[in-house]
Amino acid sequence: MPNIPELIKRSRWLREELFEMVIRTRKGHIPSCYSCAEIVCALFYGGVLKYDAVHPKSRDRDTIIVSKGHASMVLYPILADLGFYPKEELQKFTRPDGILRMYADHSIPGIEAICGSLGHGFTIGAGLAFANKKDKKDFKSYVIVGDGECYEGSIWETAMFASHYELDNLVVIVDRNRLCILNDTEQCIKLDPMEDKWKAFGWNATTINGHSYKEIFQAFDTVAKSNNKKPTAIIANSVKGKGISFMENKSEWHNRMPDAGQINLARENLAAFTLTE
Amino acid sequence: MATTINLQRDIFVNAIFEAASKNKDIYFITADFGAQALDRFRAELGEQFIHAGICEQNMVDLAAGLALSGKISYIYAMVPFVTFRCFEQIKIGLATMNLPVTVLGVGSGYSYDDAGPTHYATEDIGCMRALGNIEILSPSDSVSTYACAKISYENPKFRYIRLDRKPLPSIYKEGESRFLEEGICEIERGDEICVITNGYMMQKVMEAKARLAQEGIHIGVADIFKIKPVNAASLKKIANTYKMLVTVEEHFLSGGIGSAIAETCVDFNLNVPLKRIGIEDAYHMDNGGREYLHKLCGIDVDSLVERIKKCHSELMLKNKEPIPS
Repeated sequence: MPNIPELIKRSRWLREELFEMVIRTRKGHIPSCYSCAEIVCALFYGGVLKYDAVHPKSRDRDTIIVSKGHASMVLYPILADLGFYPKEELQKFTRPDGILRMYADHSIPGIEAICGSLGHGFTIGAGLAFANKKDKKDFKSYVIVGDGECYEGSIWETAMFASHYELDNLVVIVDRNRLCILNDTEQCIKLDPMEDKWKAFGWNATTINGHSYKEIFQAFDTVAKSNNKKPTAIIANSVKGKGISFMENKSEWHNRMPDAGQINLARENLAAFTLTE
Repeated sequence: MATTINLQRDIFVNAIFEAASKNKDIYFITADFGAQALDRFRAELGEQFIHAGICEQNMVDLAAGLALSGKISYIYAMVPFVTFRCFEQIKIGLATMNLPVTVLGVGSGYSYDDAGPTHYATEDIGCMRALGNIEILSPSDSVSTYACAKISYENPKFRYIRLDRKPLPSIYKEGESRFLEEGICEIERGDEICVITNGYMMQKVMEAKARLAQEGIHIGVADIFKIKPVNAASLKKIANTYKMLVTVEEHFLSGGIGSAIAETCVDFNLNVPLKRIGIEDAYHMDNGGREYLHKLCGIDVDSLVERIKKCHSELMLKNKEPIPS
């Protein structure tokens, strides 16, 4: 079992790094990154993802696509920390002399595909999984989709496709923070019952607390042991903005920028950030 | 002009079959659209054949994922469904990442004449031409269709290749390939006017040419095989040897080959009068077949003869005008 207290420190570190990146340029989407922060930390720092920082385009590794493109920057501090590119790039986020853009794309080491429009990364991730199957490469394709992203019809086209072609090397994590830009998803167009939907499409599906490392690792462990030839969907119930009190569960903070007082409060919140397992 | 019984799609798919037999990285993906030649592909190269479901969006991004894994993919459906239905997937998955995927559409123009506007492809050139990184090929006969298939796997890149539903008569000799280099090829030499066209309209223009010749008007005919990028050097060569260019297309005037030629003329200062003949903005929901639809749009042979004659008279009149002092 990975060292959970260390990972909780990672969670805080990632949130602080992302916050400072956004505050410096006043660009980016903090709350959407925070709802999936534990998922990406578990993948990269919990020994789940087999990555290759030296050969980021190698075929012999797992892949991760953050299909909810507005949160793709959640990977930036991690990729810098692991040596995909110099840490100075974080200081240059969205600047003309930097390589990191508001929405990630394939020109950035460690990023598989361009993202920003919803409902694309998931299918591209299925394509990567399909190619690995065909070439008998035992690697996984992980994709993080937003729950709001599941409104896109293309998600369900590929959900059908992936189960038919038995892509058991495809793992989708649905960041179920229940908020899209205008409102709670269940007030906009109902998405529940989410788990049943994936199951009905022929997937393994399980619902977890997306901020509990214990539950995240249990879910990934189940995927690793699964041998029923089905792709897996992990519905990760999460809190949009988790870690900054005034942003939590507030749809209006989707891309709003805090003022000076709010910046101080946010920094205090983040310094005290912890998770109870 | 010898008529071949082969459909463009069968010629194309057979060529891909040969290539795929030798290269396991070639995948042929369909959104439930078939071809006789595809039956053999499915049977003998089943591992390289993918039915994507009637899910064009899935098909395109899937091909992008395969391309990112080093595969060469073909995505295949009727023109409207493999272009308009999944246009954003093509933009994001293929164009922005510039991936070697061939978008293969069958049914240019009014090919599916009995089906109505859902199946017509009278806007595809305009839409696809607007994308970055794309090469657009529109073969007018069997020889150039085979050549299209060949370069699609010998030099894989992001391409849109549009095929007709019906067999098209030959305009090139077996083994001829100058169209690959030239992009726009003079097929028939003429006097004052050169008509630039392609695909199904080629035979209609040839019929118009024969009729006009009886009246003493000898038009040249050029095949625009590569719609994007337009080969400006070839166009310049043609523009320099004629007094007027006329484009004929089974496509809306907005964004079609007439537009592409006009843009190139402007960009390269080709000082030649240009007239565009194509479909005015209108969706025809009429029975009667392709020829009847052409009549409604003024692109049937009778109309072509009349319209080109008018262009010719304009040109003659202009040439008689005294040079202003």
